[in-house]
Formats: sequence, C-alpha cells, structure tokens
Amino acid sequence: MSMTAPEPVAGARTSLAGMLVLPATILVAIGLIGPVAILFRYSLNQFVPGQFMVDGLTLENYVKFFTDAYYLNVLLRTVRVAVICTLACLIMGFPLAYVLARTQSRFKNLMVMLVVLPLFVGNAVRAAGWMTAFGNKGAFNASLLGLGLIDQPIEIMFTENAVLIGIVAVNLPFMVLTLQSVIEGIDRNVEEAAFSLGAGPVAMFRRVLWPLALPGILAGTILTFILAMNAYATPVLLGGPKFQMMGPLVYGQFAQQNNWPFGGAISFILMTATLLLTLAANLIVQRRYR
Amino acid sequence: MTAARLSLGRIALNGAAMLSLGFILLPLIFVTWLAFFRQEIPSFPPEGYSLRWFSAAAGNKAFVDGFLLSLQVGVLSTLIGLMLGVPASLALVRHRIVLGPALNTFLLLPLVMPGIVLGTATYVFQIETEIATGLPVLGSAGGLVAAHTLIVIPWVVKLVTASLVGFDRTIEEAAQNLGANPWTTFWRITLPSIRPGLVAAGLFSFVTSFGNLEMSLFLVGPGRITLPIAILQYLEWKIDPAVAAASVIQIVLIGAAMIVTDRYVKLSRVV
Repeated sequence: MSMTAPEPVAGARTSLAGMLVLPATILVAIGLIGPVAILFRYSLNQFVPGQFMVDGLTLENYVKFFTDAYYLNVLLRTVRVAVICTLACLIMGFPLAYVLARTQSRFKNLMVMLVVLPLFVGNAVRAAGWMTAFGNKGAFNASLLGLGLIDQPIEIMFTENAVLIGIVAVNLPFMVLTLQSVIEGIDRNVEEAAFSLGAGPVAMFRRVLWPLALPGILAGTILTFILAMNAYATPVLLGGPKFQMMGPLVYGQFAQQNNWPFGGAISFILMTATLLLTLAANLIVQRRYR
Repeated sequence: MTAARLSLGRIALNGAAMLSLGFILLPLIFVTWLAFFRQEIPSFPPEGYSLRWFSAAAGNKAFVDGFLLSLQVGVLSTLIGLMLGVPASLALVRHRIVLGPALNTFLLLPLVMPGIVLGTATYVFQIETEIATGLPVLGSAGGLVAAHTLIVIPWVVKLVTASLVGFDRTIEEAAQNLGANPWTTFWRITLPSIRPGLVAAGLFSFVTSFGNLEMSLFLVGPGRITLPIAILQYLEWKIDPAVAAASVIQIVLIGAAMIVTDRYVKLSRVV
C-alpha cells in the first residue's frame, strides 16, 4: 500500500512512527531485558553462607541443580504435573471450545463471561474454593460420606491430585479461549462437506477439525504448559509445604534462604525450558503451515 | 438412525462442554458458599448461614489496605500502559517501520515470560536500581506500578492492534479533506472508532494488574501488600469464611466490571 506513497512524506511518517513506538519499546527493553540480564549475572555469582552473595564467574549453581537428586526431582515433578495438566486441559477444553465457537444460543456471551470470570478472579481465590472442598470435612468428603460411598474421609488436600485438579481448573479457561478463537476461524462448511461425503463425527474430527485447529491447539498447549510449569499459588496452597514445584522453590531461595545466585539459576533453568519449548513448537507449526 | 446417532453425539458433546464449564466455576461456587457459613470451620454441611463474615472481611486491615493498594496500582498501570501502548499500536499498524513485526513480538514478550521469572528478575533489577540511585524502589507503590505497566503493555498492544487492523482509513482521510488537522482527526475520529478495543484493553490491563500474584510476590514490602497476596498469606495460615467473604467481594466487583464492559464491547469477540 505504502509503495505508492510519495517518498518525502513516507520518510517524515516513519520518524513519527518511531517516536510513537519508542516509549513502549524502551520500557519493555529496560523492564524486561535489563532485569533478565542482571538475574543471569547473579546466577553466576557465589553464595557464601554468612557473607551473602560474592561476585564470581562460576557455573556451580547450575551444577548444583543438575547433580542434586532433590532438585532434579522437583524439576521432574513439575514437568510431570505440567504435562498431565496440559493434556487434561486439552481433553476437557476442546468440547467446551467447540460448543462456544459454534453455538447460536443467545447465552453464548454469558457462557464466555463465565469462562473469563474465574480467570480474572485470580489463583489464590480459586485455590480457596478447592481448599473448602478438599478438607476432611470438606464438601467432597461430606457428600461421599453422606452418600455412603466411603466410610473414611479420603486424603485429597496436600496431595498431588489436589494440585493437579487445582492447576487444571486454573488453566482450562486459557485453553478454551485459545481453541474457541481458532475454531471460530474454521469455516463451518468444511465440516458440512466432510459429513456430506459420508464421514462420521469421529472421522470428521480426526481428518478435518483437528488438522485445521492444530495451530490453535499448539498455541493453547504451549500457553497452559508454561502456566503449569510456573504455577505458584496452587502448589503452595493445595500441595502444602512438602509438595515442591519449581515456582515455590524459586521463591523459597529468594525469600527464605536469601540465596540469590542459586535462586537466579533455578529461575533461568525454568525460563530456558519454557523458551526452548515455545521455540520448538513454533518451528513445528511453521514447518507444517508455511 | 444416523440422525438419532448425531443428536446423541450432540447431547454428549454439550454434556462434556457443560461439565468443563462447571469444573471451571466449581471453586468460585465453593468459596461463595463458604462465605455465608455461620460457623468458622469449613465443615459440610454448614450449621447455618450468616452475613457476619462480610463485615469481618471489611474490618480486616490487610484485606482493606491490600484492596486499596491493588486498586491504586491497577488504575495507574492501566493508564500508563494505555498512554504507551496505544501510540505504539498505531505506529505498528499504520506505518511500515523497520523490524515492525519483530517489534510487535517484542512488545508481547512480557506476556509469555513466566511470572515467577519476571518477579525474580524485576526484584534483582529494583535492588540494583536502589543501589545505583539511592531511591527506595523495592516495596514502594512506584516500583509496583512500573512492574505492572510492563505486564499491561502486551494486552494493550494486542487488543488495540486487533481493533486497528479492521479500521477503515478513508474516514480519517475524509476528516482531513474537510480540514481537520492530524491531532483533531486522532481525537475525534480514530480514538472513538477503536473504542471497543480501548475498553477491552483497559479491562484486561486492570484485571491483569489487580490479580497479579507471581510477580508482585517479590516486589511487595512489609505493610504494603496487594490484595491477592493478602489473600494468599491468609490462606497459608488458615481457610475460614472471612477470607471467603473477601474473595466473594472481589468476584462480585470483577463480575460487575465485566458486565459494564460488555455493554461497550462483546467480550466473546475480544478474548
């Protein structure tokens, strides 16, 4: 479009555009790149008990993480929880996203708002809801006991299952909204065509809907995976102090141990894992949908 | 036969969808229920119902102070985020800038950055800033606003660019042909036409800031904590109807903000 624009005007406009975009760019550069660089520098420092942080140039914090079974277990547990939660979100999110995308109902807007509201309310409040339900005398055990299905309260609170349920509920809206917008972009006629050519619902889903929705599925999967890897409030409140995941581990190193170099290193391991996964998924999508 | 199977499939599909929706809403339902319990211990079934926990929540200094701080930080970072993000979006959509798409991705970066990492990084950055300048940054409202502005910008850029892309530029040209200068055109034509995008950007920015937990966790100081952190710290100690009542107040306020926003812009179209 701007090919036809007269040269001098285009030049003046470009400098105006630069002025418009510059403040936000500077803020993000200073507020994001600067801190991450300093954090990385900190992670190469040494921690000497009693002396706090000593300037250095060492990889010992990273070595400590990858050679200690305790920390490796925390990383593995975090990845396991994140994978399970992401798969559960995908399976539970797809039907809801599809119905929201295709419905003609006048309640559509209300349903979207009901998906968005919990997202806006925050993790701590939703964890409080599960804490109400999971206790020994909580809603779940009380109903199961009342129905005579169990005669002893089952342990849910402070278990991995509680954390899994909590994180799935926190991340599900993100998955649903991502999938919904992609499915809305898929022409309904494509589905009708598959049906009229004799495909059943399963074949239609597998051969038409799934491949067309794949970019959105990947986007939603990446988003929920990142969020699950970095969960903080849910594991702290529903998992208890013994259930360690990467997020609480980082916080503990900073707030309780005052070990900034090691905390910085764990932070960086967490971020690198996240960025590598995002990059890998983007490459896969670009290769398939150039 | 086929029709019957199809409609059976449709029932199963709708059923699965409603189950997921119910699962998303379940924690909010439980916390609302608990807020009206008469007894303090969250045991089911409740012994009776009472409204007294709402006044208990309103009398809790940590909740009230946290609410006021969150409100203040949310409003300020939303305003600053809009002032920085709207011009940037205009430039990105309207002008061919060098590295335009890369800049766009760059401005969205704080959104994909894990909150915990952002929190630790901002924490050490604010400490270094304090050492360098001697100003009390860490734990101050200003430090919180600066950090929250960073996570608000991606939402503004994302939503305002989306509403600018579908914008018919001939209206602006018509205004300028009729003698309006660029500034008037911006205020009287461009800004009103992208109002849905602006409203959505404002709502998402405010809510992102108001509810932020992972990053703020590192940046709050003693006696100066935001509402989500006040709730988190209370819950680490115990769960009772008072904290549930505080949560319900938050749910109602955010719900009301969404309904008001929905009058300007259909939420199902922006998220």
